Amino acid sequence: MAEDIHWLEVKVTCDGETAEVVSEVLSRYIADGVVTETDAKYDEAEEVLIETGDIRVFGYLPYDEKTDEIRNKIEEALWHLNMIQPIPNPTYKIILDQNWMESWKKYYKPIKIGEKLLILPSWLNQTDEDRNRIIVKIDPSMAFGTGTHPTTQMCMSLSEEFCQPGMDVIDVGCGSGILSVAAIKLGAKKALGVDLDYASVVAAKNTAELNSVHEKLEVGLGSVTEINNCDFSFQNANLVLTNILAPIILRLFTNGLSKLVKENGYLILSGILDYQSDEVVQKALEEGFHLIKKVMINDWVALAFQK
Amino acid sequence: MAKKFKAFVKLVLSAGKANPAPPVGPALAAHGVNIMAFCKEYNARTQNKMGEIIPAEISVYTDGSFTFILKSPPTAFLLKKAAGIEKGSAVPNKEKVGKVTRDQVREIAETKFKDMNAVDMEDAMAQIEGTARNMGITVVD
Repeated sequence: MAEDIHWLEVKVTCDGETAEVVSEVLSRYIADGVVTETDAKYDEAEEVLIETGDIRVFGYLPYDEKTDEIRNKIEEALWHLNMIQPIPNPTYKIILDQNWMESWKKYYKPIKIGEKLLILPSWLNQTDEDRNRIIVKIDPSMAFGTGTHPTTQMCMSLSEEFCQPGMDVIDVGCGSGILSVAAIKLGAKKALGVDLDYASVVAAKNTAELNSVHEKLEVGLGSVTEINNCDFSFQNANLVLTNILAPIILRLFTNGLSKLVKENGYLILSGILDYQSDEVVQKALEEGFHLIKKVMINDWVALAFQK
Repeated sequence: MAKKFKAFVKLVLSAGKANPAPPVGPALAAHGVNIMAFCKEYNARTQNKMGEIIPAEISVYTDGSFTFILKSPPTAFLLKKAAGIEKGSAVPNKEKVGKVTRDQVREIAETKFKDMNAVDMEDAMAQIEGTARNMGITVVD
């Protein structure tokens, strides 16, 4: 056994009903806990996240002199369980020990947006090559908007085009606050970010502080209705940003999204799949906007309108 | 078709004791999830349930951000607690290691019902009894 080998991953792929009992068997021999994982997709009709496909049950054994003995016990227990209901054979993989606190960070790199912006993970430094770009620092956590998703990138790139110095900005469904912070960094006088998720409100405040723009960004719990009800310090803006999902954007229009945009102001909508964009454009036209730009990455679309 | 949601990860952990070592580390690092942020939040939310097994169901988004909710303890944990045993049977089809009453099964079903795919309480109880059988626990009246 090589010295740098530290964990044996045990994996059983099975259906939902079997997963619980397989988890229980693994838990008997793996004290630190087990993991189950499934793929997920968003059901638009029901507006819920649903699990798809089989469940993968994982456990991790420290790789030492007892590993083979425990592995045999697990196999024996699963064999006996197989007498009651069919259990697929476990598969094994050796996992090198690593600094897990750091290893997730490899998925994040600096991302150039448009001509001016650079999304920079908080633990990285700006390089000489990017020294002329405007930095938006981000600490990925419990709110959408780390900058790696096309919808966020397109929304930021349209902001770069239409956000002018001195503008005020409203960001509906602000998530991590990345869009509001970028707008302020691009010269906006002030911004209001609202979200229905409290974790996002906390995350957006953190992003603002990380970028030293917290004095210009107001963040609160709410959506279009709360803004129109005067729950916040301003009710309309020159630039309104919404990066959510198309069905929610359509609902926001019904709730008064258009009122948030000042005369001649801009509305940027993102989070729209290509096949949904005609319906969103139609709704915006009915609300008195005209389409000035449409951008696409893969099958995601972002739209810029002027009132 | 691309969606903003990517995966469900369910971690079955001891309350208040999440740390970056396996299983949390490899399970979440593979999705680009901020591991320390998860551990801090999980431990804060479960610190009043120390000694219990509290699963966390994490929704991972395609950009690595995440949300999670806490679920009720696993059926197996509740059955072991009710039967007063530490482990299920290694040979459940031959060797029985404990007993639970039907009332205890109902109690467990009531605790778990919101997290189960059960049409009614009878269905939930049947599922709990199935898990008991697989653990070598006998259900008695």
